[in-house]
Amino acid sequence: MNWSPMLISLKTASVSIVITFFLGLYAAKLVVGMKSEKIRIFIDGILTLPLVLPPTVVGFFILLILGVKRPVGRFLLEFLSVKIVFSWTATVIAAVIVSFPLMYRSARGALEQVDKNLIMAGRTLGMSERRIFWRVIMPLALPGIASGGVLAFARGLGEFGATAMVAGNIANKTRTLPLAIYAEVAAGNMEDSYGYVAVVVLISFVVLSLMNYFTIRGSKYTDKDVSK
Amino acid sequence: MSLEVNIKKKYKGFSLDVNFQTNGEYLGILGASGSGKSLTLKCIAGVETPDEGKIVLNNRVLYDSQKNINIIPQSRNIGYMFQNYALFPNMTAEENISVGLKLSKKEKKLKTNELLKMFHLEDMGYKYPAQLSGGQQQRVALARIIAYEPDVLLLDEPFSALDSQLKSELHSDFFDMLKLYKGEVLIVTHSREEVYRFSKNLALIENGAITGFGKTKEIFEHPKSLSEAKMIGCKNISPCEVSSDNKILCTDWGIILKSNNIPEDCKYIDIPSGSFEIVNEKGANTIECKLVNVVEEIDKYTIVIENNNGYENNPIYFNINKETWNNTKNKNELILKINDFYLLK
Amino acid sequence: MFKLQRMHISKLRIREGNVKMKKTIIVILMLYMVINFIGCNSETPPAEPKEPASKETILLAVAASLKNCIDGELIPMFTEKYPNITVDATYDSSGKLQTQIEEGADVDVFMSAAMKQMDALNEQGLIKEGTMVELLENKIVLILPKDSTTEIASFEDILKAETIAVGDPDSVPAGQYAKESFENLGMWADVEAKASLGTNVTEVLSWVAAGSADAGVVYATDAASNENVKVVTEAPEGSVSKVIYPIGIIDATTKLKAAQNLTEFLQSEEALTIFEKYGFTARRKK
Repeated sequence: MNWSPMLISLKTASVSIVITFFLGLYAAKLVVGMKSEKIRIFIDGILTLPLVLPPTVVGFFILLILGVKRPVGRFLLEFLSVKIVFSWTATVIAAVIVSFPLMYRSARGALEQVDKNLIMAGRTLGMSERRIFWRVIMPLALPGIASGGVLAFARGLGEFGATAMVAGNIANKTRTLPLAIYAEVAAGNMEDSYGYVAVVVLISFVVLSLMNYFTIRGSKYTDKDVSK
Repeated sequence: MSLEVNIKKKYKGFSLDVNFQTNGEYLGILGASGSGKSLTLKCIAGVETPDEGKIVLNNRVLYDSQKNINIIPQSRNIGYMFQNYALFPNMTAEENISVGLKLSKKEKKLKTNELLKMFHLEDMGYKYPAQLSGGQQQRVALARIIAYEPDVLLLDEPFSALDSQLKSELHSDFFDMLKLYKGEVLIVTHSREEVYRFSKNLALIENGAITGFGKTKEIFEHPKSLSEAKMIGCKNISPCEVSSDNKILCTDWGIILKSNNIPEDCKYIDIPSGSFEIVNEKGANTIECKLVNVVEEIDKYTIVIENNNGYENNPIYFNINKETWNNTKNKNELILKINDFYLLK
Repeated sequence: MFKLQRMHISKLRIREGNVKMKKTIIVILMLYMVINFIGCNSETPPAEPKEPASKETILLAVAASLKNCIDGELIPMFTEKYPNITVDATYDSSGKLQTQIEEGADVDVFMSAAMKQMDALNEQGLIKEGTMVELLENKIVLILPKDSTTEIASFEDILKAETIAVGDPDSVPAGQYAKESFENLGMWADVEAKASLGTNVTEVLSWVAAGSADAGVVYATDAASNENVKVVTEAPEGSVSKVIYPIGIIDATTKLKAAQNLTEFLQSEEALTIFEKYGFTARRKK
């Protein structure tokens, strides 16, 4: 079995989760802190869009910006000799965009469920906003945030539609696991796809277990039996 | 030491408009849920901002809408105790207590240990809030806000998170520990017992406005207005009309009472439940009535009666001890003497 | 007594079960017959009364890739010329049509997208002697994005492109031919290293049209269908097997004259021009 798709997928997913994690967390923090309800709903809608659009439509929008005929893509090509489409970088971009909403929404939910009284208490006790965020909000929201990260990682790993459009299907460069599986099935090589599918199933199980672990760990602070 | 509060705020379907001053003694703010008492405290603390007004603490302006002053809560140096204590679940009791201290690590440790001892929490510093009992959590919360010696303590319904049995046990302990703090205290509650025990001064709040203010004992013993009377729990209130010869007609009950001391513009009369006495014959300030219901309480009976004149909608309640009632011969038709009543504005 | 009662009840249940099963089987059988009946009726063309040389209907079985030009232009043109002949056309993959003809479908004329199916029918004697003609060829071509300035003029040049789009040889026929061509040029391994494999030809076309791929290899007819690509050249002569579209009259036809009218028309200059418009190469009788 050719290991290349697996390696490419893992490489892509690993790099994209780091980007998605911080982008999603930062966006969630911004949105939670917004004062205007209307603006918040609007921004939230835009940030969640890649989640509900079909991946090929997402790919279409990415091409609209980074395609070689389009302003940004053309600029990059002509002035920096950089062609994003059909490069490995494009697989990361596609993965980040489709997995971002998952990270953002999980992080937002986790941040919002922190008891508001705790934040007010922190303020009356003289804690700076930054200290409140890192010492109170983050530790309590972390299980939800981590769980979101795991989910986003899995989504990035499984990304197909947008990737095919934007990164192409080049062996050893942009042929990710999902693309490889699809090609094998289309060619009728069911046997060759078993190996890939087994890897995907294994990773999925690991992902689910991690998510469960984080969820359980989240209730650690309310557990009466936990003793130091 | 004083706190001046004069603020207005429109909030979720009601308007807050409060104006009061403290004089160094504990102030209790008594009101029903949703009357605006917690909101008032939050505005003083700075975690909510009024629409307009002024808040001054010990001659330091915390908020002044006209001069555009609004000091952030972190700098107001107040201590706020939340209804559910708001202890940080991810920090130990020790860490919680030391959160507001701005000292070196060593000094913090010393001070925290001192506080743990003062609040009878010696061996529990390492425990997390979830592992502490309700009473212990309350002590940690109190220690946390006393630790950095704020200018005023704001207690938001400190006992509502505890069940009633625990409450009475903790009342005196709490009061003792509160004495460890040398500053002014505002306590907000819906419980008359708490406010009576804890605060020398009382502010009554109803629908976002202060409807009564004065010394606690005085208000309880001599309520002067309808809202004061209702707030302190008077059950027998009726509108009244005063006639020229010192006679008061209680319009809801059809009773005429005599008094030598009738203040001007009194509109209501309140007869405390304890001021009735069963007598054998009619006389001044007596009424004839019939029994409607007997309610048995733990230590007394509350008798519900109706005036014989047939005014049915406003029954009268009076308390009597069990022995006396059981010895009363004719329970259905009674003659009661009214020994005491208040005339309200 | 109790035991007997229980047995009695369970026997009743079994009998009940049996009755239920029988009912289900009857319903299924009836449904099956109804479906078959409907199916039968829709497959067989209505029997036309035999009127001498007027109002005839012939059935043309054609490979799906020819649908656009035949359905869109050629049949209407033919009907204008021969108003008495109605052409019913059925479009599908060449393999499926072959099977249907073998099973006795009432087809009069067959046109496939490869020699394979026609040869197979011929061997079984199902094609009328002497009526098979190799009508069209579909060339394998090299395409570039319409506005491309890259200097690629031949298949050998294709390695100048940074990324190449080609159909997946394992599942796309055009991809298989592309591979064959490059293998014969001794450069497949190098091409494969830069190649983005499409799962269908439309994907390959859209990659090149968008400029994401610098060059691509598709059928000439595919290239003609997308205005954002330009054809640079055909695969070198002899580097790839020819993709021939043959036409032939089914031996069992009962409307020979009409069938001949159709096949002759399709070989006429008029028709060939239309085919060429769609990207086919006409194999003219010299």
